[in-house]
Amino acid sequence: MNHSENDITLVEKYFDAELSESEMKHFAQRVESDDSFKTLVEQEKALIGAVRYHAITEDLQFLEHLESNLNGQGRNVTRPLKTWYLYAAAATIGIIVVARLFLTSFNETPDELFAAYFKPYPNVFEPTLRGENRSDARTEAFQAYEQGDYQKAAALFTELLKSAKEPGILLLLGNSNLILGNLDEAKVNFTTLNKDYDELDIQSKWYLSLCYLKSGDIDRARNMLRELGETEISYATKAKELLEKVK
Amino acid sequence: MNQEEIIHKIRTGGQTELGLVYEEYREEFLHWIGREYHCSPDDSKDIYQLTILIFHDNIKQGKLEHLMSSVKTYLFGIGKNIAKENFRKEKRYVPISKEKWLKENLIDEPTQTIDEDAFARAKSALNKLGQPCQRLIELFYYERKSIPEITAELDYKNPETAKNQKCKCMARLRKIFEKESVNNSIVINHESF
Repeated sequence: MNHSENDITLVEKYFDAELSESEMKHFAQRVESDDSFKTLVEQEKALIGAVRYHAITEDLQFLEHLESNLNGQGRNVTRPLKTWYLYAAAATIGIIVVARLFLTSFNETPDELFAAYFKPYPNVFEPTLRGENRSDARTEAFQAYEQGDYQKAAALFTELLKSAKEPGILLLLGNSNLILGNLDEAKVNFTTLNKDYDELDIQSKWYLSLCYLKSGDIDRARNMLRELGETEISYATKAKELLEKVK
Repeated sequence: MNQEEIIHKIRTGGQTELGLVYEEYREEFLHWIGREYHCSPDDSKDIYQLTILIFHDNIKQGKLEHLMSSVKTYLFGIGKNIAKENFRKEKRYVPISKEKWLKENLIDEPTQTIDEDAFARAKSALNKLGQPCQRLIELFYYERKSIPEITAELDYKNPETAKNQKCKCMARLRKIFEKESVNNSIVINHESF
């Protein structure tokens, strides 16, 4: 159906919230009385809806990908069968885990505590999406990190930081170094992140406290955990919990 | 990050900021929703993802500029409504179809849903539009970026060029949509014989 340029402009201005009060009245009258104009409005609504829907589902895919990284495993494709014996098996495993935690939590060494509390920070900065096939150094660095090739990730992140001073890259480089046991490098990474950047300061403090814990610097670890425990963010709970255990 | 900072980051940022907020409240939310509404871990994650997308969309659409409560309380409020609504509709907990849910709750208007056929043709037209047009109109209609912001982000010469380009992209999208509609009616006519 052919619509006049004026009608298209009017509809466009309506959806872009650019109509004056009188234009708005004129618009409402046209919708009421002119079926062809009404169709144009409906069509524009469907098009803008499709644009928004496409972007929202892309964000949803991003969150699903992030969730599978945070989980450390892929999401269950099929939901578990809700049968009594599965619950019974889960309960038994639960009891064993709780009993083990209870028995070991009194005398955990710094290394054991580190192992229990350390979880690599997920790549929320540039997750690689399914079907994506880019091969530049930047993509390779993030992919190596996601795939657990921390040696390669650390080398590539170090190179990247020379040209791109991004806090996210520094956080993931620190994590890679911490996993590889390069504690001095990791400490420098997290301290720099904390001092020189406005973002990710809570995360840098949490991982710095784990660096101190891993290297046996208990006093510094405790001080940092105490500082985190006094904040009102999600890290506070686990910081307080760990502080209780670090003797 | 304080609350104003979180809102500002989401308003001006992209997926990185979305991911940071997701991570910030995830543990507490999943623990709470599982306990309060007896949701399975997978259902809890589905509800949390929808919650974050609503929060994100409300900020982008300018519906949420200041919070009277904390971000956590706001998110828990959204999550509670999703869990209750799902239970009310289904009379039992069933997995939420997230894509369908997003269409019904963030795309359709409360009093008027978009015609399914037209919506399918619009999605198909958008897939054929190509870049940079698709990105430009997403920045405008989804991210709600202003023309000067889009000018800077997509490196246009000036705001007038960006505005012109946006109008041209929408005109092209309408044209593809109309073509889709004609093709669709030919197929329908053909099938009726």
